[in-house]
Amino acid sequence: MPKKVLIADDTEFFRTALRDILLGAGYTVVGEAANGAEALDMAVELKPDLVILDVVMPVKNGLEAAKAISALNLPLKIVMCTSLGYEPIVEEAIRSGASGYIIKPLSEAKVLNTLNSII
Amino acid sequence: MDVSKYKALYLQETGEHLSGIETGLLSLEQNPGDSFVLDNLFRHYHSIKGMSASMGYEPMMLLAHAEEDLLDKLRSGALANSEEITTVLLKCLDTMKTLAERVRADEPLDIDVSALLASLKAAAVGQAARMPPAPAAALASGGQGLKLSSVMKVEGRLFDELLATVGDLFMTLSSFKTLTHGSRSVEFKNGVHQLGKTVNSLHDTIIFARMLPLEDLAAGLPRLVRDLAKETGKEVSFTTEGMDISLDRTILEGLGSPLVHIIRNAIDHGIEQTEERKKAGKPLPAVISIKAVTRKDRVVIEVSDDGRGIDRERLKAKAVSRGISAEKVESMADRELLKLICLPGLSTAETVTSISGRGVGMDVVKEAVESFGGSLEIESKRYLGTKIIMEMPRTSSITKALLVETGGEQFLVPISRIEKVIELETKELETGLYEYAGTQIPVVSLAAAFGIKTESRLRRTLIVLDIKGTYGSAGEKILAGLVVDDFSDEIDAYVKPLLPPISKLREASGITVLGDGRPVFLLDVPQIISKTLTGRNP
Repeated sequence: MPKKVLIADDTEFFRTALRDILLGAGYTVVGEAANGAEALDMAVELKPDLVILDVVMPVKNGLEAAKAISALNLPLKIVMCTSLGYEPIVEEAIRSGASGYIIKPLSEAKVLNTLNSII
Repeated sequence: MDVSKYKALYLQETGEHLSGIETGLLSLEQNPGDSFVLDNLFRHYHSIKGMSASMGYEPMMLLAHAEEDLLDKLRSGALANSEEITTVLLKCLDTMKTLAERVRADEPLDIDVSALLASLKAAAVGQAARMPPAPAAALASGGQGLKLSSVMKVEGRLFDELLATVGDLFMTLSSFKTLTHGSRSVEFKNGVHQLGKTVNSLHDTIIFARMLPLEDLAAGLPRLVRDLAKETGKEVSFTTEGMDISLDRTILEGLGSPLVHIIRNAIDHGIEQTEERKKAGKPLPAVISIKAVTRKDRVVIEVSDDGRGIDRERLKAKAVSRGISAEKVESMADRELLKLICLPGLSTAETVTSISGRGVGMDVVKEAVESFGGSLEIESKRYLGTKIIMEMPRTSSITKALLVETGGEQFLVPISRIEKVIELETKELETGLYEYAGTQIPVVSLAAAFGIKTESRLRRTLIVLDIKGTYGSAGEKILAGLVVDDFSDEIDAYVKPLLPPISKLREASGITVLGDGRPVFLLDVPQIISKTLTGRNP
């Protein structure tokens, strides 16, 4: 059974890039959110096994979304995705329940290694 | 990972972010600390940074990264935003647009951004950002930036020079136009015509770039009205209309203190205390309104209040006490009488107050308005209110004018005043009145007004003029006729203001030099007519 992934990033550019990598590696992408609030709703509704959260997003940022999703105690893992310079936020997200992180710019290897290590 | 397939997506989203940045930076000019805008800007830069890093567009990534750092400090409050910072960010935006264009065109991104990065870093540590010279590529795409006031400050002098150069071009053009009259060459005439169109469009472009809306000036007025009303314990509301009309920034700046003076006067002397208004059955709060309308290339700005109006008797008494003969004051037309409040030191206010003092203001207002080639009119109804009407050019320097001649002397009459030009037999004008559009209008001879000798001639030209200072709300015109020998071309005159001592010459509002080198005065038509008709200089 392929793992179901929810992607949350405010740029279509990264959503598309992530989707391509995931689909290429046999994952199923169940949803794409453009901000943290959408990610929270879709995490409840679509029951993904994995949520990839960008940190800098409008409405609700990745850290806020990570905290809110963790608080729901759903059977899923959270991976933070951001660029260099946001280590403190990523650390806080991990303390709040996230399981791993990916540092942009994205590469197939970086994404898949991270996901394989936590699933 | 092959990223080239994401290029179109990159360009699309980067383009959206860049225009979001532009909008955001512009709104920061109005409100530098807007946290919502700062947050959005931060995300725009962050997104561009991330995408550019993934695509390997290094100069773009470096710029976005440094900008993101700067915005992070601004949005967290670690650094206060300033005009310098916005200016640096706008400069960077130009370069980012250029970089995006290069990506689109598959051109190398070999633009040196180190100077921009240095100024972003300097700005981020709170140092005055030094403006680096823009890379050549950024200049090529920078046209849009000229609308921004902060950029204008850098380029301001350049614009003045550019405008002066275009003024010289107009002079040269008018001498060519003179030559075409004596030429039979169609090619030459066409060439000069084409040149004229080009110079005009160059002029229009420069003028447009210098224009700012009245709104920029009026934005501070509600606060002024509120504070003054509080200070005097009066109830005053404030309305504006037509503030979207744009004026040359120099003229707009020049209007600032006259407007403040007028509003101070209105609140201090015009508007009654609440009790007095109640007794008189007048509505509360009192209303001060500013209304602007355009008329051809000019703007009419009216500042009205519904206060007590100007007391003529007190005004007359004051004028007499200032040394103007009682006889002269009594024989003055109302319009001229009201203008006496613009004499230095003349005020009808009973008390000297901290707000407007005594009579300080209106003379300054009149002087400021006239220095821009504008005119001032006052209307006032006792117990009902006062209206100060300023009629100003919207743009500086170039005025459309009709070249007229009388007794061999040439003068310019502003086109904005002209209703009609009629050729008549001299004898039809002998009565000093002329029937025009069903009414008798007074007729003044320019030669007589200036004491110019003219040869007797059978036919002369009557120029029907509107000499009222306002054109918008009342709609009513005050018509009068000016008799000249003849008229010739309509020209675009690069009018320079008169300097002392000839600035005392009230009948002229400026001077220009014709293509053949002759200086010609631009006539202040309302002055000439009212002076001749009333036999005095107001």
